[in-house]
Amino acid sequence: MIFRAVEDADLIHQAARGAVEAYNLLVSRWEKRVYNYLLRITGNREDALDLTQDVFLKAYQNLRKLDDPGRFAPWLYRIAHNEAYSMFRKRRPETDVDELEPESVENGIAFGGSTVFPIELSLAVAGALERLSPDQREAVVLKIYQGFKFEEMAEILSCPVSTVKSRLYSAFDLLKAELAPIRTRGVS
Amino acid sequence: MSCSPFDLKDYWLHELDGPRQVEVEEHVQNCQACREELDRLRLTQTALMSLGEEEMPRRIAFVSDPVFEPPLWRRVLAGFWGSGPRLGFASAALLSIAILVSALTRPAPAPVPGTVTVIRDAGAPGIGGDEIDRRIQAAIASSEARQTRKAEELVKRIEDRDRRQLEALRLAAAQEVDYYRRNERVLTANYGALRPQEGEAR
Repeated sequence: MIFRAVEDADLIHQAARGAVEAYNLLVSRWEKRVYNYLLRITGNREDALDLTQDVFLKAYQNLRKLDDPGRFAPWLYRIAHNEAYSMFRKRRPETDVDELEPESVENGIAFGGSTVFPIELSLAVAGALERLSPDQREAVVLKIYQGFKFEEMAEILSCPVSTVKSRLYSAFDLLKAELAPIRTRGVS
Repeated sequence: MSCSPFDLKDYWLHELDGPRQVEVEEHVQNCQACREELDRLRLTQTALMSLGEEEMPRRIAFVSDPVFEPPLWRRVLAGFWGSGPRLGFASAALLSIAILVSALTRPAPAPVPGTVTVIRDAGAPGIGGDEIDRRIQAAIASSEARQTRKAEELVKRIEDRDRRQLEALRLAAAQEVDYYRRNERVLTANYGALRPQEGEAR
């Protein structure tokens, strides 16, 4: 007997033919990552959860339009990005999306998984991320936390690679400056 | 400002192709400033990674309800019934196919052998337009004569019936008159003397 891990592409093919169970398996593989991506750019758990459900529903409805199953991840995150910004526009239609800021750190993002780091560092990182612009923050989230390549980020954000790099590197410069005092105080 | 041959952040993020990645790596081994910059970037990344991923408050799952997922043939049929233009197109296509099949399978009309044989055996010459007119006129005349004869017979029959009815009426009237006359004679004979005299009744 030969065991072979079911690839995402197999699940996508089956789901596109209406196999809901295959799609549920696909969702279980990606929901946590998509949820955390949306959580980082919205800063609100309820919004992130609602958007995650909307994203996977929309993805299921449009799965047949996905020509290359190998591009599933950027395609899915593109939907997530659009859904999040659509929500921003609906809530504050007369406000530039770049001016939107997530909720304060006291309400929002958790610091779980940092047992090897002091809570002070996690708080400092969360605060530093909040002080970035939404574009910069999203670029950091896609690159550092989600691990996308520049070309994929450009596809997700619908902008040139040069713009992606500009946002990301300016964000790094700000984060380095913000986090340097914490590091020099010696958290380790 | 970095002295690296390529962007140090690109190298750190593994966005350079193989040869360039190697080139920067060799440069960094011999460049203190670039090594320190790389250390800062790594520390920043390490700090960022201190924020772990959150678990979802609840999982997402989709349910397939068979009530809302009819079989393929039914969906195709519903698609046709739900669309006027498509239904019209399908009807026109079916009609075209039926006409085509009928045209291809229907045999050509064959001549009636008997009629042709009779004319050929009779040795009749070709019938011209005058002959046709003559025959038509003859047929019309024959028909008119037949109709006239039938009309005359019908008129004669009606006149006979009327005459018989009239004679029957005359006979009945004569019998009625005769009956009244006989009654009058009998009454006169029996009761004529009992009639009151004029002036006695008063």
